[in-house]
Amino acid sequence: MGILTALFQLFMFPGVLFLVVAALLASWLDRKMVALWQARVGPPWYQPFADLIKLLAKEDVMPAGGSTALGAALPIFSLACTLAASLYIPVFGQAVGSFPGDLVVVLFLLSLPSLGQFLAGWLNPSVYGVIGGNRSLLQYFAYEVPLLMGMIAPGVLSKSLTIDILTTVQHPWRWHLFMLPVGFAISLLGLIGKLKRVPFDIPNAKSEIGAGPLTDYSGRKLALWQLTVALQTLVGLHLLVDIYLGGLSPARAGWGVPVFALKTLMLLAVLSLVQVLFARLRIDQLSTIGWRLLVPLGLAQLLFSIWI
Amino acid sequence: MTARLIRWARKKSLWVLHFNSGGCNGCDIETLDLLTPRYDIERLGILKEPTPRHADVLLATGPVTRQSRDRLLRIYEQMPEPKRVVALGACACSGGIVADGYNVVGGIHQVLPVSLFLPGCPVRPEAIIDALVQLQELI
Repeated sequence: MGILTALFQLFMFPGVLFLVVAALLASWLDRKMVALWQARVGPPWYQPFADLIKLLAKEDVMPAGGSTALGAALPIFSLACTLAASLYIPVFGQAVGSFPGDLVVVLFLLSLPSLGQFLAGWLNPSVYGVIGGNRSLLQYFAYEVPLLMGMIAPGVLSKSLTIDILTTVQHPWRWHLFMLPVGFAISLLGLIGKLKRVPFDIPNAKSEIGAGPLTDYSGRKLALWQLTVALQTLVGLHLLVDIYLGGLSPARAGWGVPVFALKTLMLLAVLSLVQVLFARLRIDQLSTIGWRLLVPLGLAQLLFSIWI
Repeated sequence: MTARLIRWARKKSLWVLHFNSGGCNGCDIETLDLLTPRYDIERLGILKEPTPRHADVLLATGPVTRQSRDRLLRIYEQMPEPKRVVALGACACSGGIVADGYNVVGGIHQVLPVSLFLPGCPVRPEAIIDALVQLQELI
């Protein structure tokens, strides 16, 4: 019975199947909200599913000079890292696993797909890929340090680096958002940088460098990359909800699911709104913002949470 | 069952690459209209892609000039199967008013297999949407 429950948790809920379907639906909601804010109609709800199935069934071209085993392994590796990180993040209050200090492991696992994209860009024979890979590594240095500071600050405040404990300690209204608002803002900006969304979509700037690191990917591998990005968005939002917005709280028993879903949707709406409102920054502007603004603020927030 | 699912997915998710092989830019401006709120082709699942590796449909505008012939062929060959070509505008269909030019090869069909011809100078955005919907029926 124990094995069956574990397998169900791993593959059905809150494991792979649920996350993939939820991530695709979230990416539809994102596209739809952006479209509505731009006074467009937007895609139908099944659009991400159709895109994924089509890409999975398409021919897989690997250009000469780029067809290495590493190039094929990178999307699988990135997807695996994102899924592995999702195991420790409670969804609707349920995580597959939990151990002391899992927040650090989750942050590390979530940072690996960015490195994967950098390598993918370098493996491509295309110049766009190389520039995109370069930019994604520069961006990685700019957003990852503030993101880590923002995510660790609640851990310092509540004296634990276990996501489960960090979530339950906020019940019912001791949300870290109220105590560390600056840390929340830094984490949100860092997440936008990690997801390479507007205004930090510098590595895959469509109008400048094609599709960036993914320029030469097609078919199945591109499908895996896109699935990775969709999953990263959802998993990152779940992590923020769990750490800063109190997870299920202040809901009483039975009301946790809609409250959690609502919080995730609100954060997704914020990301979409940012996408509509802002234009793309240059990479040097991002570095400046990251190191001169976000890192000092993150340090201040860390010191504040140590002294409080 | 699987084949039907794949066919449905291919119908509902046409990613378009747009290439001008020597036209006057009129048709290109009309294709860009498709992205605006008034026409919004994303509601049909159609996206404009920046690279041939991601594309399913090649929207080719303009007559094929001798210089751009090899580039057009190369872009077509970079697209993964299954792929389709739509000739957009009078020049792409036949070479148009410049068909007799010393540097013009002719219409797109003289270089690539074309699924759909769409005349017009320039093509109206409504006509392009209609053509793409008809292309969905062809798949």
